[in-house]
Amino acid sequence: MPGWYYDKKELKNTPSAQDGIDYQTEMRYRKEGARFIIDTGIKMDLGYSTSATGVVYFHRFYMFHSFKQFPRYVTACCCLFLAGKVEETPKKCKDIIKTARGLLTDQKFNTFGDDPKEEVMTLERILLQTIKFDLQVEHPYAYLLKYAKCLKGDKVKLNKMVQMAWTFVNDSLCTTLALQWEPEIIAVALMYLAGKLSQFDVIDWTGRTAKHLRWWEMFVEDVTMDLLEDICHQVLDLYSQTPSQSNESPPQNQPRLNPPPSSSVARPSNGQNNPVSPDQPPPMHSSIPPPSDVPTYIYGTFTGAPPPVPGFPGFSAPPMSAPPVPPHMAAPPPGPPPNIAAPPPVFPFVNHPPPFAPPGVPPGANYYQPPNPPHRQFYPPP
Amino acid sequence: MADRSSHFSAPDQTGHEYESLSRIGSGAYGTVYKAKDKRTNRVVALKKVCVALTEDGIPMNTLREIGLLKQLNAHEHPNIVRLLDICYGHRTGKELIMYLVFEHVEQDLGSYIERNPRGFNTIQIKNLSREILNGVDFLHSNRIVHRDLKPQNLLVTFDGHIKLADFGLAKTYDFDMKLTSVVVTLWYRAPEVLLGLPYATPVDVWSIGCIIVELYNLTPLFCGTSEGDQLTTIFRELGRPSETDWPKDNISIKWESFRSIDSTGYMHNFSGNICETAKDLIMRMLTFDPIKRISAMEALNHTYFTEEPINT
Ligand SMILES: Nc1ncnc2c1ncn2[C@@H]1O[C@H](COP(=O)(O)OP(=O)(O)OP(=O)(O)O)[C@@H](O)[C@H]1O
Ligand SMILES: [Mg+2]
Repeated sequence: MPGWYYDKKELKNTPSAQDGIDYQTEMRYRKEGARFIIDTGIKMDLGYSTSATGVVYFHRFYMFHSFKQFPRYVTACCCLFLAGKVEETPKKCKDIIKTARGLLTDQKFNTFGDDPKEEVMTLERILLQTIKFDLQVEHPYAYLLKYAKCLKGDKVKLNKMVQMAWTFVNDSLCTTLALQWEPEIIAVALMYLAGKLSQFDVIDWTGRTAKHLRWWEMFVEDVTMDLLEDICHQVLDLYSQTPSQSNESPPQNQPRLNPPPSSSVARPSNGQNNPVSPDQPPPMHSSIPPPSDVPTYIYGTFTGAPPPVPGFPGFSAPPMSAPPVPPHMAAPPPGPPPNIAAPPPVFPFVNHPPPFAPPGVPPGANYYQPPNPPHRQFYPPP
Repeated sequence: MADRSSHFSAPDQTGHEYESLSRIGSGAYGTVYKAKDKRTNRVVALKKVCVALTEDGIPMNTLREIGLLKQLNAHEHPNIVRLLDICYGHRTGKELIMYLVFEHVEQDLGSYIERNPRGFNTIQIKNLSREILNGVDFLHSNRIVHRDLKPQNLLVTFDGHIKLADFGLAKTYDFDMKLTSVVVTLWYRAPEVLLGLPYATPVDVWSIGCIIVELYNLTPLFCGTSEGDQLTTIFRELGRPSETDWPKDNISIKWESFRSIDSTGYMHNFSGNICETAKDLIMRMLTFDPIKRISAMEALNHTYFTEEPINT
């Protein structure tokens, strides 16, 4: 949607900033709100796109309101609640609040007041108005999968690169990148970063022409290396602050299966003023084991460990009962409308998004396309 | 509130405030007001929508529809009426009043036809038809079926261009108005709708076919008085469909019940100076079988639109 992108100056002059909240603190609040939405989403078995949509609402909301006026965990719940309805994966408000209560300290939960449900429900109308009813949000995930399909090279390495990029996209939600750049550009930048870190050099790609120096020039225009690096660094910055640095962080509900990336992909301690360029990935990357003995999930991620692998029947079953047909399509149309989640097709490899196989039936005419992507997980293939 | 007095404002958080000037139209399910944006003095059309709140707030289908309207709006299609703002009115218990703020357009095609008793020339008809199809093709490519195309839902700007209105929103909002005596017109309904069959984008093409003929004739094509009469009227004009074309599944109305109607209609006796290519296009749009009916996109590529203009 046009109108939802801000430059860095605007991001430093938010209502919270005008309310006396310093930039670092606001960034921490945003990060905590985003993480909380993602954690709540995972706990409630919501798909990655629902959580991501909720996070984008959250960031947009605080471009118009101050964190002092609207406590972040209430807003976060409301964003997830609304995103659930929009992404056709509705959860009852009271269930979201129940989950939130389990994830938050008593002190934080106190911001919900005496009637938490009423608090969230009242906020829904304010949230809707604030985000100007722009409910449909695009995320980098679909672009990531689309671009990956065009890249040629070692399949195992490519797969690994895509997993890593997917994780970076998850983590990018904790930054304000979604307020700065279109999802296409974020996808390109984080694939570029993942390519560097996993040592996957893209030499050839489908649709290559003589005038293309880089694969992404097929998809996005005027993207400079400076821009890509800036985006990568905003994500890498997350890893240089470990959660323990902030005692305000929400409790770690997901057990970390692996060390957080601060020990593997974070820039070295030379700190913010002398960032490591993605062109020279941190030396740690060379310790990434070869694909054959890759553990299930080598990159501990900022957003937590991958959720338990859903069982075959559970995951291949429709996520929700089919939503009612919208009245303007009162009869069974040849395909689902765009904003109705179709049951995900049954994949032979059910537990992850297949980056290289077209999910389901290939799109036919330019309408009645199946929604993309059909998988609902927050995490990429192991 | 707005029904009691025509002066009200719907202040919203973005700082806009609207003052109602007059009531433009109230259809079967809603009321549209002409209003002024107090801050910019721009004249707008406010569509009052009444949302029934559930235990979990604003219902999903309302969110879906409004999200869709906003998304379409971002494309700024020239033949779709622009949605400028959305704001809340009063919330009364279980109901939330919302106002959809649209750009105000001069008039609808119904009154445009009425105000041109001498009719339109062929160039005008072709241009209007093309713009209607353009807008509808855009909706169809976004998986939206308008379902209720009729001259009253097609707006005409002061300089004669078409803007589609009244799509995407369910017709179930304004509960208090549902029982009013306003009759929902059947005249532009496709046979598959009248037969109670599943339907999709072809229903809109049917309606456009009826509207194009109306542009030539200045009077509605099929004026049925009930659902059954509407079908009979259609079959009298177009000829009764063949038994092989008659749908086999999920149909309660028997082909035999129209036996008395001739299989060749008198539709070919078009009145006025309608050319052969126009006739051909219209007959393709008024094809009984929705599968065989021309699509909006195909219609735009029909010779009627692509041939060199001839002076008549
Ligand atoms: N943007 C607009 N500018 C000017 N007039 C408008 C506008 N939108 C709607 N109208 C007028 O108001 C009338 C009713 O609007 P609309 O069709 O949106 O409401 P409705 O209640 O759904 O009606 P119905 O269900 O009978 O079609 C239209 O027929 C048209 O004449
Ligand atoms: Mg109408």
